[in-house]
Amino acid sequence: MSSDHLAHQHRTTPSAALSTDTFTCVRCGLTVSSYAADTTRRNHCPSCLHSRHVLDQVEGGPSACGSRMSPIAIAVLRTGDWTLVHRCVRCGELSSDPVCADDNQLILMRMAVRPLADPPFPLEAFGTL
Amino acid sequence: MPRRTRRSGRDQRVRPQRHKDVLHGAGRHRAHDFRCTGCRLDVSLVAPGTAHRNHCPNCLTSLHVDLRIPGDRAAGCGGRMEPLSLTVRPDGEWMLIHRCLSCGRLSANRIAGDDNALVLVRLALRPLQDRRVANSALLAVR
Repeated sequence: MSSDHLAHQHRTTPSAALSTDTFTCVRCGLTVSSYAADTTRRNHCPSCLHSRHVLDQVEGGPSACGSRMSPIAIAVLRTGDWTLVHRCVRCGELSSDPVCADDNQLILMRMAVRPLADPPFPLEAFGTL
Repeated sequence: MPRRTRRSGRDQRVRPQRHKDVLHGAGRHRAHDFRCTGCRLDVSLVAPGTAHRNHCPNCLTSLHVDLRIPGDRAAGCGGRMEPLSLTVRPDGEWMLIHRCLSCGRLSANRIAGDDNALVLVRLALRPLQDRRVANSALLAVR
């Protein structure tokens, strides 16, 4: 088996040592496994949905900030999947991460309906459309 | 309407573009408006409610010109940015999140007073169209 094939296999299915890897959430302190149940890499806490600023979104590569990123919005892709938009609380950079299956549904729903709770214009006119 | 780049008729020679005398920079006559890349609407920079208009009030499309700081004009991309989602500030103000269609970068901007309300509400209702997530949220409550 070639090393190229091994590298590809390593990328798609993590080894047993990697699948037991954990990280601690910077906000709620929950110990989270780095890989979700469907072997995708996690980048936010499933309980409070907060993340860490470790990737530089402008130039790529690791970021020097390393601060907490709070979830601010939900975006819907053309495929219908939900995507979480994070903003760094220190430098204000935005990033988007796909939503995991075991993420906190209440926080997701709260963010989805939050713009409609306090609209800047009356919504009654849309009932006549 | 598609832009015609190929000439029809006998004259097939390619002429280099003419030199422009008019600068579209700061202080010139085009410093206070821009043309939308999505719907080609001429947009004035004077907007009610905000001093930093960066998107078209009709179709909410923006242009990727800023790199890290808003207004630095340092991005080399120049791609079209589509409105992706809405977020709310702690003081209740709506913010628009754009994503560049060319490089995928995200940016946030306040909505202006003359932004298209129908497009804004459609954007706000987009996550709620799929009822699977609402059903799972109800299951989480029980």
